[in-house]
Amino acid sequence: MDQRIVEFVSALRSSGVRVSLAESADALKAVAAVGVMDRETFKNALKATLVKEPADVPAFEQLFPLYFGHEGPPMQPPEGLSKEQQEQLRRAIEQLREQIRQLMQMLAQGQQPTREQMQQFAQRAGINRGMRGNRQMQQWLTERMLREMGLTPEQVRDALEALMKQLKQQGMSAEGRQTVRETVEGNAEALREQVARFVGQSLLNQPDDRPRRQRIDDLMNRPLASLSESEADELRNHVRRLVARLRSRAALRMRRGKRGHFDAKGTIRYNQRNMGVPIELKMKRRHLKPKITVIVDVSTSMRPVAEFMLRMVYEMQDQISKARSFAFISDMHEISMIFAEHRPQDAVEIVLRELPPGYYNTDLGHSLSTFCERFADSVDSRTTLIFVGDGRNNYNDPRTDLVQMLRMRARKVIWFNPEPPYQWGHGDSDMLAYAPLCHAVHQVATLKQLADAIDDLFQSR
Amino acid sequence: MFKQISDVKQGLLEQQYIASDEIATVVFLAEQMGKPILAEGPAGVGKTELAKAWAAASGRELIRLQCYEGLDESKALYEWEYSKQMLYTQLLRDKLSQIMGTASTLAEAADALGREENVFFSQRFLLPRPLLRALMNDKPVVLLIDEIDRADAEFEAFLLEILSDFQVSVPELGTIKANHQPMVVLTSNNTRELSEALKRRALYLFVDYPSFESELQIVQMRVPNLAPQVARQCVEIVQRLRGLDLKKSPSVAETVDWAKALVAINAKHLDEKTLNDTLTVILKHESDIQRARRALSGGKRGPDVGIR
Repeated sequence: MDQRIVEFVSALRSSGVRVSLAESADALKAVAAVGVMDRETFKNALKATLVKEPADVPAFEQLFPLYFGHEGPPMQPPEGLSKEQQEQLRRAIEQLREQIRQLMQMLAQGQQPTREQMQQFAQRAGINRGMRGNRQMQQWLTERMLREMGLTPEQVRDALEALMKQLKQQGMSAEGRQTVRETVEGNAEALREQVARFVGQSLLNQPDDRPRRQRIDDLMNRPLASLSESEADELRNHVRRLVARLRSRAALRMRRGKRGHFDAKGTIRYNQRNMGVPIELKMKRRHLKPKITVIVDVSTSMRPVAEFMLRMVYEMQDQISKARSFAFISDMHEISMIFAEHRPQDAVEIVLRELPPGYYNTDLGHSLSTFCERFADSVDSRTTLIFVGDGRNNYNDPRTDLVQMLRMRARKVIWFNPEPPYQWGHGDSDMLAYAPLCHAVHQVATLKQLADAIDDLFQSR
Repeated sequence: MFKQISDVKQGLLEQQYIASDEIATVVFLAEQMGKPILAEGPAGVGKTELAKAWAAASGRELIRLQCYEGLDESKALYEWEYSKQMLYTQLLRDKLSQIMGTASTLAEAADALGREENVFFSQRFLLPRPLLRALMNDKPVVLLIDEIDRADAEFEAFLLEILSDFQVSVPELGTIKANHQPMVVLTSNNTRELSEALKRRALYLFVDYPSFESELQIVQMRVPNLAPQVARQCVEIVQRLRGLDLKKSPSVAETVDWAKALVAINAKHLDEKTLNDTLTVILKHESDIQRARRALSGGKRGPDVGIR
């Protein structure tokens, strides 16, 4: 049984479930504690010790029956044959052709093939352990292995006729022959079932070749603009976890950041309990949460990046004292309200729907002048102003003077640009004009870069 | 100590906790192997309740450590009671000067004081917090570490040390070893990924919302005087609401609260008015309530559509 569990563990590992050595040792201990009598209990014990993530449960559920399913019905020796008849049967089998002799030994006498024998057959059928394959391939390989063993219905029928002829020659009664016939047919059925299971175990039934974790890492590093819809969905789900990590890092930093001033009032008050002896000093914590104003370009080329940016900013709202957001294509619109009323995932969709992309009408210069007229109050000395855009203006006036003005007002101006630096300044890109006016410019083409850039926001305060 | 899995199930049932086979197996294994349980799952499915029921069923004391952002060792493990130390020094001033009175030099006085040092750093002035309390308890306890995902990653690492050795070292006192190994239940709402190391040391239990039958059983057990017909309807609605895309899905505890509320207003059956009046018990966001009303009234807008 232990051997089987170890094999099961290695199958789990190869379908992307992380199982450590300690955990497989635990699994053996757990099985020893609960016993193997009850299948459901046994399964629960393995599950509790081996699977530590909800996402890994499907792999476990899929593999478990393959390894600990019923082995298939066991094979039976013929019942109710006299000693003499058994001897007749043995001699009859020996008379058979080489090819079907082994088969009939198994079927007529109920000899279970050993694992080694099964493996030999499997190898001849071209099945290697650890091969990957889907359900169809499994069926096809099962067929092949059955043929290799001589277990297809036609082969068994022919072999059975040959055996019957021999038995008749040996002088077995019709009754005895009937018993043997029924035994052979029953056993053939059982063995077929066993073979099917054996093939199932040998194949790692896995539609997705790559382990899941690797896939997410991979997607993190892919340019957002090049993701397919399903890949983007997968990443969206990942954003929540990513944000949780960023959030706890930000919180930790805030707690550790003991750069405050000495707080005389607080110290005296706190140390009243120590009879006024200042044992513990209290510091005035500066309010460290950043205030963020985001201006995103939601023109077609920028949409994927804009979406993920907004998603992350709003998922992190509790680490930000105030966030306001604005979207522009040809003109500036405030979109904070939409986020206030809806959940981030809905809000992003609403924004993208309500500001339909136009053709070649991106105009940051004009949008900025609207911004300065109507929303200038959203930028003050504590605000970090973030532009998300490629800086392509369709040869309109970039209005760098306005950016200059905003830079004077804001604590920081940061630009997130999905284009690599060598493309800046080419064609209608005004990036080179904007870049010197920013405190920092990050290239954010992938989710990883975006996460790093946002993390940086919380670091440099 | 439970002998069999069925004993666990029975024991928990006596504490009004309906355990699935999976839960019972894991609890049994935790007892046998002395390993912590890591229970993960959505909020309000009874993870905390499991620890309480386990403690009660096995006759152990329950010690609870609620985790939050910024929880640190001094709040979780132990703290020196400064003020008490200070008070004692003040009150024992005469005795102290007596002890040091015989000394002629400063060095001698310091030595004399030094000899008495361990009076001030003894267990008398140690303020044990939940973790240390669990270790020092005379009887075995169940230690519930609630919502570990809210604590920082560094606290998790610190916890690992305790969970593997069941001992802590207090610099002034030396190592304190557990009298009895506590049974540990960690719960997590899965808001962040826990470290591999922690998962490796624990038995993993994913607790999901209960099925219709078990939830009905829970409601009937906790609120016995609710009419069976109403109980059934009430669980049906909750199960349906969980299928909707809500900001916060109703938890099992809320189902029970709702059932209690229905008893309180003496509801004979769940008609539209009663439902509208009491929906706020299970749903806590205005937008969720709107959404639920729409969905329950058959997807049609308008208040005049009845609920069947």
